[in-house]
Amino acid sequence: MSTMTQARPLQDGGLTLESLAFVTIPVADVAAARGFYSRILGLEDAGSDRLPGFEGPHAVLRTPSRQFVVLTAPEGPDTRDSGVHNAYRVSPAARDAIAARLAAEKVEVLTYKEDRPKEDEENFYFLDSDGNRSQLVRSASAKAANGVQAIDHTVVLSYDMLWAESFYGGDLKLPVESRVGVKTADHSRARRWAAGDEQMAPGTRRLDKLYMTMGGQNEVPRANMQVYFSAGASVFGVYLATKHQQEPPEERLVGTPRTAFLVARGDLDRIAAVLQKRRRPFQGPVEHPASAPFAASLYCKDTSGNFLEFCAARR
Amino acid sequence: MSELQSVNHSAICVHDLQQAVDFYIGVLGAREASATDFVTEDVIKGRSLHRSIILEDYLIALMLARDFMPMPPDEKLQGTHGFRHAFGVPKERFKNLMDIFKQNGVKYEGPVEHKPNGPFGESVYVKDPSGNFLEFVWRRDENVRYDSVTGVGEG
Repeated sequence: MSTMTQARPLQDGGLTLESLAFVTIPVADVAAARGFYSRILGLEDAGSDRLPGFEGPHAVLRTPSRQFVVLTAPEGPDTRDSGVHNAYRVSPAARDAIAARLAAEKVEVLTYKEDRPKEDEENFYFLDSDGNRSQLVRSASAKAANGVQAIDHTVVLSYDMLWAESFYGGDLKLPVESRVGVKTADHSRARRWAAGDEQMAPGTRRLDKLYMTMGGQNEVPRANMQVYFSAGASVFGVYLATKHQQEPPEERLVGTPRTAFLVARGDLDRIAAVLQKRRRPFQGPVEHPASAPFAASLYCKDTSGNFLEFCAARR
Repeated sequence: MSELQSVNHSAICVHDLQQAVDFYIGVLGAREASATDFVTEDVIKGRSLHRSIILEDYLIALMLARDFMPMPPDEKLQGTHGFRHAFGVPKERFKNLMDIFKQNGVKYEGPVEHKPNGPFGESVYVKDPSGNFLEFVWRRDENVRYDSVTGVGEG
């Protein structure tokens, strides 16, 4: 079964979100990164002029599921020590093949863990030369024997988790798939990490200095808060930012890094109506030329200034 | 004398904050008051993880327990395990409360009728999703001035 044909209607909103449409990766050398991701993940080079809404040097790679990985010049905050990462769906055979290529290029495979229950056994990570983290997630639906099949999930940071959940879960009606950091069990597990008994992925754990203004308080290990939303055939994760970073200017609505969701054409107007009702600025829907893979896009930012794009597929 | 006025608020430790919020707000009808440690600024300050709700006029801080608390057996719905919070409910809404428990799959024990010469009429007992004992009671004196009640302890 194709991973891209399982459009799921969002809860009582009448919207249909199919999957992630593309993710972006900030890299210092676009040409070198294009070669790296093509070789390692088996992504198809889709050229550099087919995705609207990108300025400056960038490269577009395509998965067999017709999703895109866009390599862009670095912009925005440095999130390398956070939970931000992209995960790709692979067959077991493809994971072995990718592991062999990583070994040949002397790229270390990292085997720390994350908290999301569905990823418990999928602790296969590697970094590109810029420190961007990729994860491979095995899936029975992945058919590509040598490379990735699809984008499985991506993660952004938020400065306010309840506001983020209100936006993604309430306004956009993405169903919550799982939450981390609100259970005693999550924090018990964090103590194992603090004791050195468990290696956890960046951004998943914190050592909080309780009531630091009082001084002299002990550090307490905690699971950093995370919410994962179902995004059609994909998953979209939001992690609590553990430090403040500069957000883009308020008036800027198109930029990178950016996460794009594939939706039905009619849903662009519905999303615009929701954003208008919430008084959240947006741009579009913008119709794209025939050379673009998407018919139209709507651009906005989430409650923490993360750039978002909703793309209508060209049918 | 310290001249204390009244109970101001309660902190209830829970094992799952979202589950607790769903129960206290979704089932009991509380409203959200505030949330702490859900924003970056709270992380930097190292604040405790809790959500505050208001049930009618009473403030409850739902605190995430850092360690698992030994809880009474599932089937035990009435007891005092550390604490039991009891909330008043008008007699006319008492049956409706049990209907709400049924609709939401909340196990309850009751109604339990109290002594006829005391201020309490009937109680129903439940536990929140983490196992904290709760009681809901209507008072025989609900339509008279509180000052006229004699001997609360007799109920």
